[in-house]
Parts: sequence; C-alpha cells; structure tokens
Amino acid sequence: MIREYKFDDKAAFLHKLEELVRSGVHPRRLTVTTPFHVHEVEHILHLRPSRLKLFTLIGAAAGLTAGFAFTIGTALDWPLRTGGKPIVALPTYIIVAFELTILFGGVISFLGFLFLSRFPDIPTIVAGTECGPEFIIREDTGEAV
Amino acid sequence: MSLGTYFDQLEHDVLAAMRKPSKLYWTALAVSAAAFALGLGCWGWQIYEGLGVAGIRSPVGWGVYITDFVFWVGIAHSGTLISAVLFLFRAKFRCSFNRSAEAMTVIAVMTAGLFPLIHLGRCWFFYWLMPYPNQRHLWVNFRSPLIWDVFAVSTYFTISAVFFFVGLIPDLAIARRRFTGWRHWVFRILSLGWQGTAEQWKHYAWLYMFLAAFATPLVISVHSVVSWDFAMSVIPGWHTTIFAPYFVAGAIFSGTAMVITLVVPMRRILGLDNYITVDHFEAIAKILLFTSLIVSYSYIVEFVLAWYSGNPFEIAHFSFRAVGDYKYLYWLMLFCNGLLPLTLFVKRLRRNLKYLFVLSLFVNVGMWLERFVIIVTSLARDFDPYNWGNYAPRFVEIGVTIGSFGMFFMLFLIFTKMLPVLAIAEVKEHAS
Repeated sequence: MIREYKFDDKAAFLHKLEELVRSGVHPRRLTVTTPFHVHEVEHILHLRPSRLKLFTLIGAAAGLTAGFAFTIGTALDWPLRTGGKPIVALPTYIIVAFELTILFGGVISFLGFLFLSRFPDIPTIVAGTECGPEFIIREDTGEAV
Repeated sequence: MSLGTYFDQLEHDVLAAMRKPSKLYWTALAVSAAAFALGLGCWGWQIYEGLGVAGIRSPVGWGVYITDFVFWVGIAHSGTLISAVLFLFRAKFRCSFNRSAEAMTVIAVMTAGLFPLIHLGRCWFFYWLMPYPNQRHLWVNFRSPLIWDVFAVSTYFTISAVFFFVGLIPDLAIARRRFTGWRHWVFRILSLGWQGTAEQWKHYAWLYMFLAAFATPLVISVHSVVSWDFAMSVIPGWHTTIFAPYFVAGAIFSGTAMVITLVVPMRRILGLDNYITVDHFEAIAKILLFTSLIVSYSYIVEFVLAWYSGNPFEIAHFSFRAVGDYKYLYWLMLFCNGLLPLTLFVKRLRRNLKYLFVLSLFVNVGMWLERFVIIVTSLARDFDPYNWGNYAPRFVEIGVTIGSFGMFFMLFLIFTKMLPVLAIAEVKEHAS
C-alpha cells in the first residue's frame, strides 16, 4: 500500500520526511517529489552523491586527449613548416584541446545525466504522468491493499 | 499568501505570457521578419553577383561582416555570465534574467555563426573551415586563430544550447501540466518524463553545476579567441596583449546592455512586473557600470601602450583613430561606452527603467561602433602609405546587418511565446 503525504510548505514537508525516517521507515521505501531542488532531502534520505562526476571526468579527459591527439596527429601526418613555427606547436594546440575538454566534458555530462536519470522516460511520457507544484512523500508500507 | 498559492500564481503568470499574442507582438514579429527577409535578400544578391557588391576590398578586407560577427558573439556572452557565473556566485537576482539571457546567447551565437559564411563570399565552401583532410590529404592549420575560432564558437554554441535545454527541463514539465492540445504533447516529449524526484533533482543539480563550471572558462576563452583573430597579426592597433581581457569585458558589457534592451519591453508586454523587479534591474545596471569601467580603462590602456611602446606605427595608428577619417565614430563610441554609463553611479537613474532602456540602446550602438573602429581603422592605415585606403559599407552590408538584427529579434520573439521566459522552478526555490 502506498501512503501519500502532500504539502504546500517546504518546512512542513521536511519535518514530516525527517519524522518518517526517524520512526524507522527505510529511505528506499520513500519516494519524494518536489517542485524544485531541496538539498536537505538528500541528507535526510542519505542519498549517495551523484555518479555524474564520473561522466564529467571521463568526458573532460577524453576531450583533452582528443584535442592534443588530433592536433599533433594531423601535424605529423603531413609535416609542413609554415611561418617558421615548429611542426608541433603545442601552445597553439592548447586552445583546441581546451575547447574540446569543455565540449566533451559538457556533452558527456549531459548524456550521463540522461543515463542516470533514465531519461527519456518513455513509460512516463506515454502514460502522461504529471508532477504538481506540491511537495509529495509516498511511503510504500509494504502491506497488501 | 501561502506558498502553494504563490506557486500557482507564478506558474499561471509566467505561462500566461505564452498564450495568445497581442497585436503589438504580431507587429514586432512582422517588422523583425521583414528585416530578416531584407537581410536574406541582400545575402542572396551578394551570392548571385559575387562579393564585389560589398564594400570590402584591399586594404580593408574585413568590414561590417566581421564587425557583426564580433558584435553578435559578444552579445551572446552575457547570457553565459548571467546563467553560469552568477550561478556560481549564488546571485539570486539572476533567476529573473537567466532564461531570457540563455535564449539570447543561443540565438546570438546562431546569428554570429552566419557571418563568417556571409563574409566568405562563396559560402557553399563553408566546410573548408572544418577540420578534415582535403583531397591532397592536407589538414587544417591548427596554428591559425581562425581555426581556433571554429572550435571555440561551435563549442560555445553546443554548450550554451545544452545549458539552455537543461535549465528548461523542470519548467517544461510545469508547462506540460498547464497546457492542452499539441503544446501539451510537445512539452510532454521535451520534458523527457521529468517527475521531480529526489534522484532526478540530485543528478540535475550536479549537471547544472558542472555545466556552469564549464561555461565560465568557456565564455572567457571564446571572446579571447575572437580577439586573437586580430591580436595574433602584426597590424598596428591589433597586435596587443590587452585584447583578450578587453574583448571579454566588452562582450559582457554589450551583452548585458542587450539583456536590458530585451527584458524591459518583455517584462512590460508579458506582465511580469512582479517577478522581474526594479531591484533586479538595478543589479544588472551595476554589472553594466562595472564592465563599462573596465572597457573605458582598456580604451585608455590601448593609447598608453601605443605611446609608451615608442613604436611610430602604433602611435600613428592611434592618432588616426582619434583624429583621422573615422574620428566621429570613435568619439561617438567613447560617448556611448565610456561617458554615458557613468550616469549609472546615480542610484535614481539605475532604478529608472526607461532610462536604462535608452542607455542600453546607446551601449548597443557604442559596442557595435567599437568593433567597427577597431577592425576598420587598423586595416585602413597599416604600415605602408601606398597601402592606405578608407572603407564604407555598401547597401548589401547594411542590409545584411539589419537582417541580422531582424533574425535575432524574430527568434527571440518566437522564444517568448514558445517557452517559459522565467526559470519557474528556480524562482520557486528562492521564494521558499
């Protein structure tokens, strides 16, 4: 059975959530939806930090590597000395590598967000489930209806 | 008013702005679309006849098109400043402006991106800019600032678009609930199935922070790279180390002015006076004043560097800028960008929206002139007197410039009726 608590007020909602957790309800049995990001919820439910940073790190590292590999690789592919500059002119390649670090880091973070949040959530889109402006706690009591 | 009632009112007011457009809106849209059509017509004429119909020729090979490119990239910058930098500084007033500013960024970069293609003349060869090996297996020259620009501007567009979309997701879910018909379906798909659960918000908050952290150095790098298109050459007036910070400050200055130009009428027409308050405008006006001071300081430093260098070409060039053939444009630029914004030291003027709107128009003009003066005066008078020559834009260049403004305003007007113009979830967060 699902027991639902709805609040208009953030303080009352947080109070109830804390009370439920303190009374021994396992956070896994609680589903919380809020109209905006409420930091306190993560502490109360003991949520683990998002793994998104892993995607960001991998994306940024891949971009940095790709930036240098691409510029150096193409310069060596056909060494052409122009303007008296070295074939592998690293200071100028830093700019391309920097931009690709940000590009890959940002895009892969976004893809990571979609993956971790299971977006696009096709069943929800098809079912047309809405989320309201209230703070909602749904408690799965584990009892049969 | 209880929080629930306030949330309901907020959602209603912001989304009401997306309902049936007024006559004034349609008129503004028609004027913008006509200007855009004029621009397309002029570009089409240039493609048909060749680049000779434009005024750019030796020695001034970069004219109004490159001025427009730098101007529009600059306009884009305040969007990222307001969204990302002010987010990292936890400036609460940003939530009144961030959505419009982010939309402005995406639209301005799209507008800017057209200009290198227009300037190319044979725009169908645009793919030569892309890093691919040509038929002789020769890759692009990564030592050229023009190639850095390709990377910088395309990265900027991609990250700005992602940032804009991510910020919209929770608000799209609200719009999904509030609208019916085809719009409901569009928002239903675009909101990706957002429910606002603790897990979703957790990942969302991290993503938003990472994107803000990426966008902040990106915004600095993009206009630095644009400035290096000039500074990496040896032309007097361009070859100076101050260019990167000078351009970045100028970009934020012009972008902030454009935010004021757009948001003052938008707030009035869409009835958002309760959410975008005079206090918020005052905070933005302070950014305008601050960046104006940096830009004015840069104008002084440019002259001092030329004088102190003892380089006769630099000294001659800056004398030409101040008292030469383009002197009126230079002094008008100084008036608009350096002198007029000083009035913002007066609190009463900072809080007067009509004044701010008019001032922002002057700054827009001033910042366009700044780019024109920097680009054209340097090319018109370089080292060799036999290579001197003045430039004036021709009809097609003026038409394309008007068209770019038409495109920008047209897309912004469409945005105001298609998507929520305020970050509803964020306003709720601050209100709570």
